[in-house]
Amino acid sequence: MATTYKNLLNSDFTSNKTLLHESIPITGTIVSGTYAENNIKNFSHGMFQSVYDYPYLSSSANHIFDITVGYSNESNLSSSTNVQNKQKINIYNEMSQLLVGYDITGSIQQFDEDGDIAAGGTKIQEAIFVNMARLLTKDEVKKGSFIFKAQTGSVNSLPTDTLTINDASGSNGYKVNSPAGEYGVLYVSAVETVSDPWWDVGDPCGLIYYQAGIAVLTASVFQNFGTYGVGVSNPLVGSMNAFLTGTAISGNCEAFRNRFNNLAYNNTTELNSTIYFCRANHNEFNYSTNPTYLSGSKIVVKNNTQENPLSYITSIGLYSADNELLAVAKLSEPIKKDPTTELTFRVRLDY
Amino acid sequence: MAFLDNSGDIILDAVLTDTGRYRLSKGDGTFKIAKFALGDEEINYGNYNTGSASGSAYYDLDILQTPILEAFTNNASTMKTQLISIPRTDLLFLPVLRINNVFPEGSTSGDTALVASYNSYFVTCNDATTTSTVSMVGVQDGTLATVSSNGSIIMVDQGLDTTQIPYSFNIDQQLKETQYIVQIDSRLGQLANTNGNTGKNPSFVDDDSIAFYYFSLNTDNSYVSDITDTTNPEGVNSTIAGPRGTRIKFRIKASAELMTSDYLFTKLGGTFTFIAEGGPVSEKYIDTFVRVTGATTGYSIDLPVRFIKNA
Repeated sequence: MATTYKNLLNSDFTSNKTLLHESIPITGTIVSGTYAENNIKNFSHGMFQSVYDYPYLSSSANHIFDITVGYSNESNLSSSTNVQNKQKINIYNEMSQLLVGYDITGSIQQFDEDGDIAAGGTKIQEAIFVNMARLLTKDEVKKGSFIFKAQTGSVNSLPTDTLTINDASGSNGYKVNSPAGEYGVLYVSAVETVSDPWWDVGDPCGLIYYQAGIAVLTASVFQNFGTYGVGVSNPLVGSMNAFLTGTAISGNCEAFRNRFNNLAYNNTTELNSTIYFCRANHNEFNYSTNPTYLSGSKIVVKNNTQENPLSYITSIGLYSADNELLAVAKLSEPIKKDPTTELTFRVRLDY
Repeated sequence: MAFLDNSGDIILDAVLTDTGRYRLSKGDGTFKIAKFALGDEEINYGNYNTGSASGSAYYDLDILQTPILEAFTNNASTMKTQLISIPRTDLLFLPVLRINNVFPEGSTSGDTALVASYNSYFVTCNDATTTSTVSMVGVQDGTLATVSSNGSIIMVDQGLDTTQIPYSFNIDQQLKETQYIVQIDSRLGQLANTNGNTGKNPSFVDDDSIAFYYFSLNTDNSYVSDITDTTNPEGVNSTIAGPRGTRIKFRIKASAELMTSDYLFTKLGGTFTFIAEGGPVSEKYIDTFVRVTGATTGYSIDLPVRFIKNA
């Protein structure tokens, strides 16, 4: 009996999971400078600022991350006279209830500097949040790949001083006590300064939530000179404390962007694959239904009955039981098939 | 689609088809891959050069250099020609499908012929068109209202189309087709048998509105039958020159939409002047094709069909 389909047995397919990583470099010039703020989107509610990789009115623009700031209502900076005081507290609470969760009384917990919430310790009460878009982060930020470089010099000397922050411990140590998944502690990994550094290498200065794609930086990152730590030009000049209390969220975001030197991380895509082994035995698939295969009814690649039939494979179709074509695979070049050869094609479908 | 890079290792470019994605999205378990087939649609076996002076290693040089296109995601646009498994390796001839345009099915010779000069089967879509054209060779009454008086049908024969084996020989049972798959755009029409006046329901309709009909020998007797004529040469009752297998015959019924609306004629077709028996008639038309495939042997043939309606 002639047949064109071959059934796949249980031993002919298997499932597999692989992690695919891509490098995501974001330079500071995109975040401030290159597009003259046309790639920065502010909203009337003033709760956050969005950064695009191209002027956002263009259909070519891709959303890369959002920036916002907030502080705890237990922060010393919290005051009803502050600009957008309520919004900054709301932002902090929203992020902390999502990323840190609640204590046993149902109260929202604060961000903990070293992730050891049970032990108490230092809390991050004033924070800058960098929420990376799923377009770039995909399923999660690869642990141990996050590097952020901030310019922390005084506005008087401008950005000669830098602070490099990474999650070096993430590849072999991370926390799992967050309702939003796994997270790591961000540490200062390098300090380049011409004056007395506020920070030392190894100091914890933030948290990175891998699945959520959110970096939480303590606002103190920009406090190395106490009085002048952030801002590039008037009116965006002042201490971090002054910014958090006296400037709207958008102004804080703008100041942060102007001190954003570089950000790089690897994203992760979780690929679930099914691999089908399509086996063509020696006595299978040696003839073709291609109209050019026949002249009249004679096979054109044979001159007598003693010669072996042969065919050339360019495509593999995967079908349902009712013969609907569900997937198709193409070979990059034709492969010869005759009764002296057996072939196994490994077709991987990723989901 | 672009060509695949064939400068290095052999790669396999795999994608889900639109049907695959649709079934996956339904989440009802209908996305289940159960079988596979191999295809060779880019290959022109006419490039197999057995006369190459460089030797047999060079016979298939041109074939192996054929660039391959990336996979199409439309399930109806790919895997058109498939490879067949036949345990025997000594076959020199394979069966084909041929339009039978010579068989006098009813009382009129030419019942199975195509419309001359158009090389198409015409299907009328309303009574007025039927009245003015249906007596012409190759024109079918798509309304099925006058089936008894109109013998025009579509017939396809299967067998070995060669004079090197006498037509009086029985075809090898391995090469005899016993099941046919007929595909037609369900927006335009449906199949009917040659003597009934109702259409047949398709086995299923895919996401591109292509209806699939399955017909089997000994089950669908009004559609599929053995070719019993082993005494007459090609051109009398059959278009197969050698040993003959089976035959499928059917009519096409126009869809309700074509009969009641001009929308698809405007969108998919045009107008032409048909020289009918009573003189030139302006007709709206849609050109399409009906594909007949042998489910066992895999060979397929596309039948040109034109739906017509008075303009």
